[in-house]
Amino acid sequence: MSPLAIGILIGAVSIVVLGSGIPVAFGLGLVSVAFLVIFEGFDSLSVLADTLFAGLNDFTLVSIPMFVLMGAAVASSRAGSDLYEALARWLYRVPGSLVVSNIGACALFAALTGSSPATCAAIGRMGIPELRRRGYDADLATGAIAAGGTLGILIPPSVTMILYGIASETSIGRLFLAGVFPGLMLAGLFILWALYLSWKRKGRLIADTTVYSLRERLEILPRVLPFIVLIVGVVIALYGGIATPSEAAAVGAALALILVMVVYGVWRARDLWQILRDGMRESVMILMIIATSILFGYMLSLLFVTQSVAEWIGGLDVNRWVLMLWINVLLLVAGCFLPPAAVILMTTPILIPIITKAGFDPIWFGVLLTVNMELGLITPPVGLNLYVINGIAPDVPLTQVLKGAIPFMGCMIVGMALLCLFPEIATWLPDALMGPGS
Amino acid sequence: MQKYVSVVSAISRFLGVVSVALMVAALLSVCHMVVMRGILGQAVIWQTEFATFALVSATFLGCPYVLMVRGHVNVELLPLKAGLSARRVLAFVTAGAALLFCVAVLVNAVEWWWEAFEGGWTTDSIWRPRLWIYYLSLPVGMFFLSLQYIAEIGEVATGRAPPFGILHDDKTESRS
Repeated sequence: MSPLAIGILIGAVSIVVLGSGIPVAFGLGLVSVAFLVIFEGFDSLSVLADTLFAGLNDFTLVSIPMFVLMGAAVASSRAGSDLYEALARWLYRVPGSLVVSNIGACALFAALTGSSPATCAAIGRMGIPELRRRGYDADLATGAIAAGGTLGILIPPSVTMILYGIASETSIGRLFLAGVFPGLMLAGLFILWALYLSWKRKGRLIADTTVYSLRERLEILPRVLPFIVLIVGVVIALYGGIATPSEAAAVGAALALILVMVVYGVWRARDLWQILRDGMRESVMILMIIATSILFGYMLSLLFVTQSVAEWIGGLDVNRWVLMLWINVLLLVAGCFLPPAAVILMTTPILIPIITKAGFDPIWFGVLLTVNMELGLITPPVGLNLYVINGIAPDVPLTQVLKGAIPFMGCMIVGMALLCLFPEIATWLPDALMGPGS
Repeated sequence: MQKYVSVVSAISRFLGVVSVALMVAALLSVCHMVVMRGILGQAVIWQTEFATFALVSATFLGCPYVLMVRGHVNVELLPLKAGLSARRVLAFVTAGAALLFCVAVLVNAVEWWWEAFEGGWTTDSIWRPRLWIYYLSLPVGMFFLSLQYIAEIGEVATGRAPPFGILHDDKTESRS
C-alpha cells in the first residue's frame, strides 16, 4: 500500500473513530497505536511512553495551563458582566450602542479568557436578554453573541495560537500580535452587520433610552480597568521580549487570581478551589490532546504519510491561491467536526512545508487558520458556541440561533478574504513592533 | 461493582487534588523564576525544569479525574444518531477501545520507567533531577485511568449511568 493510500485510510478511520464519542485524546492515540501495529508491528510500540512524554516535555507548553487558569479566574468572577456594563454606560449615546457594547464586551472578555464558550456564556447571559428586551430579534441577539464569542481564539492571548506556534515552530509573541488587528476587524464586521440588520428590520437604529450620569460611568471603571491593564501588560511583556510566553502566562494567571480576590472578593476556599479545578480540568484535556497528537504525528511521519502528502500537494500544478482555498475548505470541514486544538495539531505539521513552499507567511497563515477555526465554532454539527447559546437562551430554538449565526459566518469569510487581499492586516503589527519576520 | 466504583472514584478525586497542587506548584515556580531573574537578576537553576515536570505530571495524574467528570472533549456524532441500545453498545466499544490504548501505554510506560529507575537516569541540566520520579506519573496515571475506564464501563453496564452521559431526550451535541 502506498503512503498516500495509507494516509487516506488513516483519515477515514480517524473520522469514524473521533465521531464515535470516544474522547478526542484517546481516539487519536488509539488510531496511532492501531496503524503502528498494523504497518510496523508490535515492536513499534516501544516508543509509546517516550513519545507521549516528550510531546509534553516543553517549557513553552507551560503557557497553556497558565493562560487557561487566567481565563478560569476571570470567568469565575463578575468581570464579564462588568465589562458589558461599562461599555453600555460609556457608549449609551451611540445609536445601536447595545450591539456595540455586546460585541465589544465579547472581544475584551475573549482577550481575558481566551475561551470562546466562556465568552458566550458570560456576555450572553446578560447581553441576550437585554438585546431582546430593547427590541432586537432573537436570531440577531443570539447570532451576534455566538459569533462575538469566537473572537476568544483570535484576540491574544490565545491558546489556539500557542498550539499553532508550537506545531509550526513560529514565534508565539509574533502570532499574538498578528491576531490583534484581524480580531478588531472581525469585531468591526460583526458590529456593522448587526447594526445594518437591525436598521433594515426596524427602519432605524435602536437607541438606548437609559441615561447614565458621569458618576455612574466613572464608578464602574475601577472594576474593569485592572483587567484591561492585565491583558495589555501580558501582551507588552511578550512582544517586548521581557518575558517568554510561559512566564507572561504564569504572572498573568497569578495576577488574575489576585485581581478576582481583591476586586470581586473571591476569598472563600471553595471558590478558589473551583477556579483551580476548572483550570486543571481544561488544561489536562488540552494537554492530553497535545500528547496524543504528537504520537499521531509520529505515526504519520513513520509511515511516510506526512512526506507523501506534502510531496503530492507540492507537485500539483495549481495556482497558490487555489491551493490556499482548498486547504481552507479542508480545514473548515475538519473544524466543523473537531475542536480547534485537534485540527491544528493534526494538520499543521503537514501544512507548514506546503504553505512555506508556496510562498505564504506562516504567521499570516496562523491567523487565517485561526479565523477558519472560529467558523467551526459556530457551524453545525459540533459548533460549540451554538450549544452554549442554546443553553443560556433555551427559549430560542437552535435553528433560530443558527439562522442568526449564518450571516456572521459570512462576515468571517469576508474577513478571511480581506486577510488574503491585504495580508498586512495581520503582519503589519508584528513587523512594526518586532521587526520584519524571517 | 458499586464498591469498586466508589473506591476508584475516591482515588481519581484524590489524583485530581494532586494534579491541582502540581499545577499551583508550577505556577509558583514560574513566578519565582520571574522574580529571581527579572527583578533580582539572579540565575535560575531548577524552575524551568520543575514547572515542566509538574505540569506533565499534573496532566497524566489528572487524567482519571477528568475522565470521571467527563472533561475530555469528545465528538458525539454517532452516539446522538444512535438509538438507546445502539448507543449502549457504542459506549462499551469506545470505552473498551480507549481502555486498550491506556493499557498499551501502561505496559510500555512501566518498562520505560523501570529502565530509568535501574539506569539511574537524570536530566542533562545543572539541577540533574532523577528521571524515574518524573516518569512515574505516566504509569501511575495510566493505571488509574484504566481503572476509571473499567468503572465507567461498569456504571453503564449496571444502568447506573447513561451511555456517554446522554439522557434519552438530551439534545446537547457536544461537550467541552
